[in-house]
Amino acid sequence: MTTPQLSTLTAEPEAQEPPAPISERRSRLRLPFSPWHLVLIPLSFLLVVPLLWMLVTSLETEGEANRFPPVLIPESPRFENYSEAWAAAPFGHFFLNSVMVTLVVLVSNLIVCSLAGYAFARVRFLGRGALFVTLMATLMVPFQVTMIPVFLIVKWFGDNVWAGLGIDHIGALMLPNLATAFGIFFLRQFFQTVPVELEEAARVDGTSRLGVLFKIVLPLSLPALSTLAALTVLTSWNDFLWPLIVITSHDQMTVPLGLSYFQGAHRVKWPLLMAANVMSLLPMLLVFVGAQRYFVQSVANTGLKG
Amino acid sequence: MTEVEFRDVTRRYAGGVTALNGLNLTVAEGEFLILVGPSGCGKSTALRLLAGLDKPTSGEIRIGGAVVNNLAPGERDIAMVFQNYALYPHMSVYRNLAYGLRQRRTPRAEVDRRVRETAELLQITELLDRKPGQLSGGQRQRVAMGRALVRKPQAFLLDEPLSNLDAKLRNQVRGDLKRLHREVPVTSIYVTHDQVEAMTLGDRLCVMAGGEVQQIGTTDDIYNRPANTFVAAFMGSPPMNLIPGVIRSGLLHVGETEVTAVPSPDGPVTVGVRPEHLQLHPSYTDGMVPARVDFIEPLGSHVLVTAQVEVDGGRVPVIVNAPAGTELASGARIGLALPQERTYFFDAETGDARRTRERVSLGHA
Amino acid sequence: MPALLDRVGRSETLSGWTLVSPAAVLIGIFGLLPVVMSLVLSFQHSDLLTPETPWVGLDNYRKLAEDPVFVEAIKHTIVYTALFVPGTILVGLFVASAMNRSVRFISVYRTTAYITMAVSTISQGIIFLWLTDRDYGLVNAALNSAGVQSQPFLASPTQALYVIVAMTIWGWTGFSVIVYLAALQGVPAELHEAAAIDGATAFTRFRTITVPLLGPANLFLVVWLTINALQLFDEVYATTRGGPLRATTVIVYYLWDRAFVQFDAGYAAAMAYALFVVILLITAVQFRIARKHAHIS
Repeated sequence: MTTPQLSTLTAEPEAQEPPAPISERRSRLRLPFSPWHLVLIPLSFLLVVPLLWMLVTSLETEGEANRFPPVLIPESPRFENYSEAWAAAPFGHFFLNSVMVTLVVLVSNLIVCSLAGYAFARVRFLGRGALFVTLMATLMVPFQVTMIPVFLIVKWFGDNVWAGLGIDHIGALMLPNLATAFGIFFLRQFFQTVPVELEEAARVDGTSRLGVLFKIVLPLSLPALSTLAALTVLTSWNDFLWPLIVITSHDQMTVPLGLSYFQGAHRVKWPLLMAANVMSLLPMLLVFVGAQRYFVQSVANTGLKG
Repeated sequence: MTEVEFRDVTRRYAGGVTALNGLNLTVAEGEFLILVGPSGCGKSTALRLLAGLDKPTSGEIRIGGAVVNNLAPGERDIAMVFQNYALYPHMSVYRNLAYGLRQRRTPRAEVDRRVRETAELLQITELLDRKPGQLSGGQRQRVAMGRALVRKPQAFLLDEPLSNLDAKLRNQVRGDLKRLHREVPVTSIYVTHDQVEAMTLGDRLCVMAGGEVQQIGTTDDIYNRPANTFVAAFMGSPPMNLIPGVIRSGLLHVGETEVTAVPSPDGPVTVGVRPEHLQLHPSYTDGMVPARVDFIEPLGSHVLVTAQVEVDGGRVPVIVNAPAGTELASGARIGLALPQERTYFFDAETGDARRTRERVSLGHA
Repeated sequence: MPALLDRVGRSETLSGWTLVSPAAVLIGIFGLLPVVMSLVLSFQHSDLLTPETPWVGLDNYRKLAEDPVFVEAIKHTIVYTALFVPGTILVGLFVASAMNRSVRFISVYRTTAYITMAVSTISQGIIFLWLTDRDYGLVNAALNSAGVQSQPFLASPTQALYVIVAMTIWGWTGFSVIVYLAALQGVPAELHEAAAIDGATAFTRFRTITVPLLGPANLFLVVWLTINALQLFDEVYATTRGGPLRATTVIVYYLWDRAFVQFDAGYAAAMAYALFVVILLITAVQFRIARKHAHIS
């Protein structure tokens, strides 16, 4: 039995220098660097140019922005755009709401999907197969099919259980996403690679089923949990359609929705809009760069198995 | 003239690691030369440099007299059998074999003829339509060989081709390889870490360690005239015993015992004797090396006795062959007699063999 | 049958269901129940507010078939998908190939490719609205300096959809590159070496060894990208709101509009179901084609 490991697809090259690739065999040109940099630099630049331009614009004055041909470097970076954007809409609320929703969804998913994933992976219970297939079937259903009824369901919760869960409250953003079939599928897959012997040894020592999950399996599953966490955070934070449907009050909006509202209110004030955009993007960009490894692994794994 | 030559070839990596240090080696036309040594000794590096998959830091590589340093692998007219076979998984066996020929724009009829000829030679004709994924390990290995053979290259490179096979298959394929080389004597360079493979297959062996050549010679040379303690201990199973000692006034001393007169200059030495040449005596007498029995391992045809010998600064284990049925109690004191002609003396510091003249008969005190 | 629930079996079944119940309940309520509700809704007339929802049978579906806006939306969606999917695949493969080497700073280069994954759809929309602005946009500035006239881009009924194609290709490049990079790195280096020794040039190696081995990655991307393309919404909302003159109205946009702006939920549900069936069909067809290909090669 091999120890569980996700594919080690990282962005970093291997520590030991590999033999020079075949394509570099012939180069008689003695450049101090690989000729590939001449391709990669323009390519990378092209890929991030939209983001860079956004950044540049966010530091311009309105006058500079409304010039044509455009000003490539602002005379003096206008950081006030940011404070103005922040003041022009309740960004504090937007961020707080996004953080709360994302946090609740994340924790809920990690717990609920772990429990279920473990059960599907290791516990032989009657009806396991049928239940698993049924739950996985929901993955095939596009959001548009379910969004209208879920709206009605959430409305019902708001009217009959607690207003905070209903329409125009962030609870409604959390409720439908507390568990996803993908999370269960992903964790089940991973739990199956944890050597059964470890769990059996613990059971023999008297640990309960739940104890085995929390003390043995989960600690060994940190890579998978981190990957699921990264994905959940990204999709939850960037979710737009559902918040659009459910939320209308500004103080309940999440960041993407808030940004869209901001766009509506300040349509042609481009520097201001870009500053708001930068602020909205920054959290996820930082998370992504920091947890890049997990994002890459998650996509790569789904891609290779799908 | 398909001679292969390494002239002072070095491969150094950024960070200071020297994988290969000044390799000088000439492989004669049609010769089957084996590069053998432990992991990291540089043998695979040398092979890859020859194939063109890597570039040497300095030195020249010649194939058929021409310098090939700047030629791409495809231009060197060599063929390689990889450890993991590297068969193209999405192509049938036929297309795998034909690939190299097709890249050289060989006409279709010719390709077909040669592919079938090679398949016949390796007995894989029935497999031509299958894909590598449908073949067993042994079959895949033969296809890998076939892919190399079909090109009729100037030189054949083999990178541990038997290491992924189970023991039984390995022995069988070893025999096949020998027969094949007899029928199709292409200059071959074969890399392995298994010394049995090396000794049985090679016309000549090149023993390597730490990026440097330790000794080049035939199996007989390597086995019976080892150039240093590394070669002595590496080849042969169980390995040659190496016992530290000192020669004072012409007498060999091991630990506190004065053993016997030896025709070798004074100084610290490492004495080398193979288990099958060492003579075991159940009771110690003068002229022998005293030892205490540790344990016995019966092998059917004979037994291996492991004993401990007292040397300066501690004890070394020594293995000696004894006739089947030998029974000795653990801890029993025995005597080990050094044979006249099969005792080797190595310099204690460098490990190099002392001049051969001194290996002629031992006197008795 | 009694053997199924012997002593050990029974406690396993109990613990199993206990562990699974939170997930089962949540997904049951928010994943499975809505599927049924949606179907029922599609046979009704509902405005999401009043509890009365009269049954109208297949009326909604009949209306759908005759709805000119819906037909237009289908056309737009098909055009979009037909351009977006191959576009993203080609760009992804190109960028991944370029980045599949170990030069210095390669991790930085790769990050620039991946990073589009983190950008929200709204942000994308805003950035591209600005980039393609007719009067002050960077793209038009570049075009002008090359001697080409300024284009209306997102303000033009003929160009808007194509701009959205370009925008979403950019947005999905990160994802596509990750998949292809993983697939490319999954091709053992030894295969390239063997092919090189066999005399194949770099381009031939790419064509005969690499590309065929990318089959699974290709299939995955085609299916995944198609499903997502058919569900395009966010980026349209963020830029053109379906305009100008409905030029960018795609199916889901129209759906959303009918459900939550026009409050014609039953009709929208019917549309959603129709879309659902189409997605299932297309996915099934793609898998069938893939299976045939795998056997031929």
